[in-house]
Amino acid sequence: MADVDSAVKEAVVEALALDDDEVTPESTLMDDLGAESIDLLDILFRIEKSTGVKIEASDLGDYIQGGIPDDEFSDENEVITAKGAEHLSKVMPQTNASDLEGTLKAEEVMSLFTVQNLGEMVKSRDGAGG
Amino acid sequence: MKLDGQVALVTGASRGIGRAVAQALAAEGAAVGVNYRSGREQAEEVVAAIEQAGGKAAAIPGDVSEYEQAESIVKQAVEELGGLHILVNNAGIAKDTLIYNMDPGDWLDVMRVNFGGVFNCTKASLAHFGAQREGVIVNMSSVMGEVGWIGESNYSASKGAVNAFTRCCAVELARFGIRVNAVLPGFVPTDMVAGLAGKEGGKGILKQLPMRSFADVEQVASTTVFLAGPDSSYMTGSLLTVDGGARAQLGVGKPL
Repeated sequence: MADVDSAVKEAVVEALALDDDEVTPESTLMDDLGAESIDLLDILFRIEKSTGVKIEASDLGDYIQGGIPDDEFSDENEVITAKGAEHLSKVMPQTNASDLEGTLKAEEVMSLFTVQNLGEMVKSRDGAGG
Repeated sequence: MKLDGQVALVTGASRGIGRAVAQALAAEGAAVGVNYRSGREQAEEVVAAIEQAGGKAAAIPGDVSEYEQAESIVKQAVEELGGLHILVNNAGIAKDTLIYNMDPGDWLDVMRVNFGGVFNCTKASLAHFGAQREGVIVNMSSVMGEVGWIGESNYSASKGAVNAFTRCCAVELARFGIRVNAVLPGFVPTDMVAGLAGKEGGKGILKQLPMRSFADVEQVASTTVFLAGPDSSYMTGSLLTVDGGARAQLGVGKPL
């Protein structure tokens, strides 16, 4: 699935008007690369065109949260629970559940999402028949 | 032909300006979805006329003021004609009356069709246009959206909303390869404005128009085809008046 990774990288480079060497698999889309919501939409449209895999912007949040209900994903202070942290460390393997639990704010979750993580998401959708 | 291989959807295309737009797009090679709400027979006549001229078209039912129906209209166009590249948001109604006499429902009805229809069909087309990184939207507005007239407050407000929406859409969608422009006709004698031109053939209005003639629907259609096609490839966010000079004139009558 190397072609998916290169398609994802190309989409990110073009949508954000960056140089090729500014985008690495470890780059986080929002924090490192400065992507905003319209940029994410642009990236997803480009990926859909080049790979045929359709991902809605709303799917990103659902994928990251993994279907865990809000009140189990984060506590009353909007901080990620142990259950939430464990799931996050699966979809974002560069993170460590014990580092996230009890410290990461729910609203900051997306900021950890990397180019590589997006590539894995596209592959998982591709395998599921788009 | 300039639109060979393209698929266009024209809302409210069973008569008036929409019909002329559908036929003009087809004459440039586009396959055309002829949307209608209640005029099925008329829409089928438009399809037959296009087919007779060697073109391809399909009649597509649906009320653009309802979002679910707008989605179904777009879906049918894509399925029956094999894609979608051009959306002409043309469907419109008028319920002219003085504000004092206006039923509160009358402004909402006009807004729901004239502006709501533009919003609904635009939104319903975005997933398709965005994924192919190509799409052109032409909104049928009116000079009445930029200026005012007695008895036209609801219509004028709805077209003003279309103009503002056109600009925002153009800015927001440009990076997805989607262009959005509007045509602002002046006086076009169609069924919709029959009341306006009715009195002595609209003589009072004609005298005040710099070009001294009403627009033919074909003259509005040709501007629409221009905005839909490759000749306007660097244009987005533009509001083009097709009004015989009406909008350019200081409207206080003759100086002499």
